[in-house]
Amino acid sequence: MPALLEVQHSMRQRLLVPGPPNADLLQEEVLAIYRNTVTSTLVYALRLSYPAVLRVVGAEFFEGAAHEFIAAHAPRSACLNDYGDRWPDFLAQFAPAATLPYLPDVGRLEWAINRALHAADAAGIDITRLASLGDAALPGVSFAVHPALSLLQLAFPADSIWRAVLDQDSAAMARIDLTSGPVQLLIERDAHGVQVRRLTAWAWEFTRSLAQGKPLHAALDETAAPEGDALNALLADHLSSGRFIDFSCTGEPKS
Amino acid sequence: MNESIRYSSATSPVPVSAGIGLRFPHHRQVLETTPPVAWLEVHSENFFGGGTVRQTLLNVRRHYPVSLHGVGLSLGSAEGLDPGHLRRLADLVDIVEPSLVSEHLSWSVVGGEYLADLLPLPMTDEALQVVCRHVQQTQETLQRQILVENPSTYLQFQHSSIPEWEFIAEVARRTGCGLLCDVNNIYVSACNHGWDADLYLRNLPARAIGEIHLAGHAVRTLDSGRTIRIDDHGSRVAPEVWSLFEQALRLFGPKPTLIEWDTDVPALGVLLDEAGLANERLRAARQADACAA
Repeated sequence: MPALLEVQHSMRQRLLVPGPPNADLLQEEVLAIYRNTVTSTLVYALRLSYPAVLRVVGAEFFEGAAHEFIAAHAPRSACLNDYGDRWPDFLAQFAPAATLPYLPDVGRLEWAINRALHAADAAGIDITRLASLGDAALPGVSFAVHPALSLLQLAFPADSIWRAVLDQDSAAMARIDLTSGPVQLLIERDAHGVQVRRLTAWAWEFTRSLAQGKPLHAALDETAAPEGDALNALLADHLSSGRFIDFSCTGEPKS
Repeated sequence: MNESIRYSSATSPVPVSAGIGLRFPHHRQVLETTPPVAWLEVHSENFFGGGTVRQTLLNVRRHYPVSLHGVGLSLGSAEGLDPGHLRRLADLVDIVEPSLVSEHLSWSVVGGEYLADLLPLPMTDEALQVVCRHVQQTQETLQRQILVENPSTYLQFQHSSIPEWEFIAEVARRTGCGLLCDVNNIYVSACNHGWDADLYLRNLPARAIGEIHLAGHAVRTLDSGRTIRIDDHGSRVAPEVWSLFEQALRLFGPKPTLIEWDTDVPALGVLLDEAGLANERLRAARQADACAA
């Protein structure tokens, strides 16, 4: 009698791995019912997370690519909102999509939006508590960012493409210059829903350093952040928008 | 196996009346119009995250008793439960304070990969031990009783040695869990495998039944010519399933009953209409109970 684990591994193989149909027609046609449910549920999950990619390539192309993706990358979580993080990288090496070089970037943006939609709730830090540290301690402060926040640097203007595609705005689409250079984006969730913002190159790099947990002084050293009003305004915006959910004061400022 | 600790279900029990499965297309309408339905059930995994999605559920919860119905815990996985999944479920249960928490007699996870369907288990002693262990682990983590739902299946394993109705009744007996009796699933599986649906019902312990599910199913003819019923939750409850529901109520007495609809979700009014049909039968069952008393 086969052990349960053995039965489950062999069923996984039959459901996910494309291969020659089993000689036993009766068994195969019943397995196909399960296979169809597994595949259509996962394709549907990808469609929900990647509406702009779906619209760019069309339902038939999307489904065909998704079948290959699913066979190679089954979900690692039984929560389907978590499924599909590797889809943009899959599209980047998927030969039939090579004529759409901006497609993976649109996918990366949509994944960040999906994360922002479904990330856990977390409250922003208490600014009075931060202020109580005193000015001398501030350079050594590092932050933890909200789980809904993503920082993306993309070679194509994926935010403009994403909006034009979902709005079905062909005039806006025609105005997009694919060679306009990289965009630096901050994706987050606020009281009104998911927001996609463009940052300047220095603001993005500075914010990313902070998001990586580096103390303020190190983030400043690493990036071409201008001291003064612009920097203060950016930090104030981060704090008032609740982008930081925790801070610690262990990083020693350089002397 | 030792008798396990008996957990009670929620402090606010679900009304013995018809509820509906709440799906995304109806979230806004339900919040804005608060339609007259006794309770609502949602899929737990859809609310594991935060943001407006979870807030919607918490707002719904202020107006209705809520049942959390899981589709991903995979009680039948030989390799054990995913502790992260169980923790997220426990967090959701803490926040929502649901009237019922349910899972399925099935498996979906192997090698850490999630096969997005409720897959059939071989009905063996080994599988029985695995399922009981995981039901106990879940009840210990949640500190409450869960309900376990009978599946719809399209295949049986040759090495199965326990009838499904005995298997699930034994899970309830060993773990103290309740049962979610899906009448449509019993009908679908009975037709697919040539079982006696009435015998299935008669072998379930009436006291353990905490909820009944009703849904529509599809009938397909396969290439081999075999007719198979597929549990697609995509239509109204079939007349034969209404009859089996009436028989279930005769055997178990009135129970909280849910209308499920997941494929081609219709207007909310259609679901409320189906709930009304279930309520007519629940009223009749209550009257029959009163006469018998």
